Amino acid sequence: MSPRAVRMWTVSAILDGLVTAAILCLVAWLADRGQWSWVPEAVLERVWWGPIGYGVFAAVSAIVSPRWRYRVSRWEVAGDVLYTRTGRLRVRWQLVPVSRIQTVDRTQGALERAFGLASVRVQTASHLGSTSVRGLDADTAEELTGQLAARAGALRDDAT
Amino acid sequence: MSAGDRDARPAGGGDEADRRLSALTIFTEPAGYLKGLVVPLGAALVTGGLDPWILILSAVLVAGMLLAGLLTYRSVRYRVGEAHFELRKGIVRKQRRTIPLERIRGVDVSATPLHRLFGLAVVKIEAAAGGRAPEEGKLDAVRLGEAERLQRELLRRRPASEEGADSADTEDELLFAMPRRWYLFGALRPRYLVALLAALAAAGGAALELLTDLGVDIGQVVARHRDWASGGALGWAALAAAALALAPVFAIGAYAIAQWGFSLRRRGGCLVTERGLLTRRQVSLEHARIRGYELADDPLGRLGRAVRLTAIATGIRGGGSRAALLPTGSRRRVHAILAEVLTPFAGGLRAHPPAARRRRLGRAVAPVAGAAVVAALAGHGWVAAALAVAVLPAAALGLDRYRSLGHGFDGQQLSLRSGSLSRGQVVVQKQAIIGWRWTQTLLQRRAGLATLEVAVGAGRGGYAAIDIGLADSVALAHEVTPAMLAPFAVGDQSASNDRSASPEA
Repeated sequence: MSPRAVRMWTVSAILDGLVTAAILCLVAWLADRGQWSWVPEAVLERVWWGPIGYGVFAAVSAIVSPRWRYRVSRWEVAGDVLYTRTGRLRVRWQLVPVSRIQTVDRTQGALERAFGLASVRVQTASHLGSTSVRGLDADTAEELTGQLAARAGALRDDAT
Repeated sequence: MSAGDRDARPAGGGDEADRRLSALTIFTEPAGYLKGLVVPLGAALVTGGLDPWILILSAVLVAGMLLAGLLTYRSVRYRVGEAHFELRKGIVRKQRRTIPLERIRGVDVSATPLHRLFGLAVVKIEAAAGGRAPEEGKLDAVRLGEAERLQRELLRRRPASEEGADSADTEDELLFAMPRRWYLFGALRPRYLVALLAALAAAGGAALELLTDLGVDIGQVVARHRDWASGGALGWAALAAAALALAPVFAIGAYAIAQWGFSLRRRGGCLVTERGLLTRRQVSLEHARIRGYELADDPLGRLGRAVRLTAIATGIRGGGSRAALLPTGSRRRVHAILAEVLTPFAGGLRAHPPAARRRRLGRAVAPVAGAAVVAALAGHGWVAAALAVAVLPAAALGLDRYRSLGHGFDGQQLSLRSGSLSRGQVVVQKQAIIGWRWTQTLLQRRAGLATLEVAVGAGRGGYAAIDIGLADSVALAHEVTPAMLAPFAVGDQSASNDRSASPEA
């Protein structure tokens, strides 16, 4: 992965966190003002604990999570097999033989474009055998896409 | 081959003229729509009395549907050409679909009771469209004879089956016809056992709704009959017992309707199954599409030594009932037929490590035990006691789940087994494996286990070996697909270390 991915994931986590926090604050504010009768008294008194708790969690995870993700994410193409490793608590390794690849897509979202990053999505005949590599440098992604597509075309194994 | 030769062939031998659906489609299509509208329309007519507006609306609706049927009949044309099957439809937006004959993977013929009344059938043509989502052509509906002709024609004329095209391809070989006794297995299928309960519940619900609609106060009725109800506890018990006793009978009935006259044939390069009492369905599975098979059973079925066989075939997602090769039947007979049509798995299954037993047991017992503790803390003594007793069956379930876990490789095929209430053993050909995926949760990592999933471009798309030892899993994958693992796992022993240490990219 590109080291810039850490920055992008941080920004994206902050944005996500802000949106969720805003919604939680809105709910809490409504509950506080409206004094909803169906909500137990004890909850109403501590109605702001939710948003505050989430805010702390989001802030910590926005700092820790992207770095952690960067450390554990790996990809490699060796011997015409694409290898990916993702996941923090639940680790996932995947092997996709290039000969079985049907499509290779390079995608770039708005945030990714801002950071000069891109994702490569690889599809096989099985949804389980499909994978994607995220947070790549745009040039690397371009190169990987071309390399995989060319090799897949050359090795094309029609069996599914 | 000269042009004269081609002319001499029977109809459909060469480029044939455009054909149309059966003219009866004009009536069957609206009838098909009407099925869904009968209840609301009937209700409207009943509640609205003979309101002229509702009558007019119904008439317009029926006329519109007849017109739609007529338009469908007028617009759909099809043709079996030299190398293509051609389907044209649409009036405003014309659509033309050409399916190369060699891409046709299967031709299914099905007929609902309505279609059968008119002697019609629906033909579904399935084709692999360059590896992407399968493309389909559907003819709704043609005469039964025409449907059978099409099926033969389309499947026979694929160049793939040209070798021996004249001899074997025209002859059907009957491999299996449902013996009478096999309908009894319906009583062992939980799905059909609950059919009676579901039907009763639905009927009860409908009756209740009707009574309320008619202005009957249910509460009052119940109150009036309270004496009878309390005095008749015995009566209720008898009723429940009768329902329990009747459930298997209904199960067998429902099962027989679905599986009636199940037959399996070999026709050219295809396996053809046919079944159903009311809706008759014929599914043809090209042999070359089959990537493996699955043997499924459940605890009741295991008691009766029964198992059912499903094919794992490309283009049939989920492997549902379309891929069924045999209905539930005695294990011995199923295995005998399996050996005749496919390659049976020749190896044994290896058990998963003891840590997997702890995990299965824990996952089965923990929710029940947890609920019991919560109930006890909350002061619901009886609930807690009941849950505590339920821990025992949960533990038995967990142990059985562990017992069914297994994996094996016989040099050609990989086999994985899991599940208890619905146990399945899948067998997948080595060449069909298009990738591997390991997943390891935090708890699995501590136990040295992982879940290995094998990606297959057929059936459910992937099959899992749950809680397999991590080193075992790498060894297994390495054994099955050495080329795929070679760049990453140097030696089987070092492989697991390699993996958990996450090699640098």
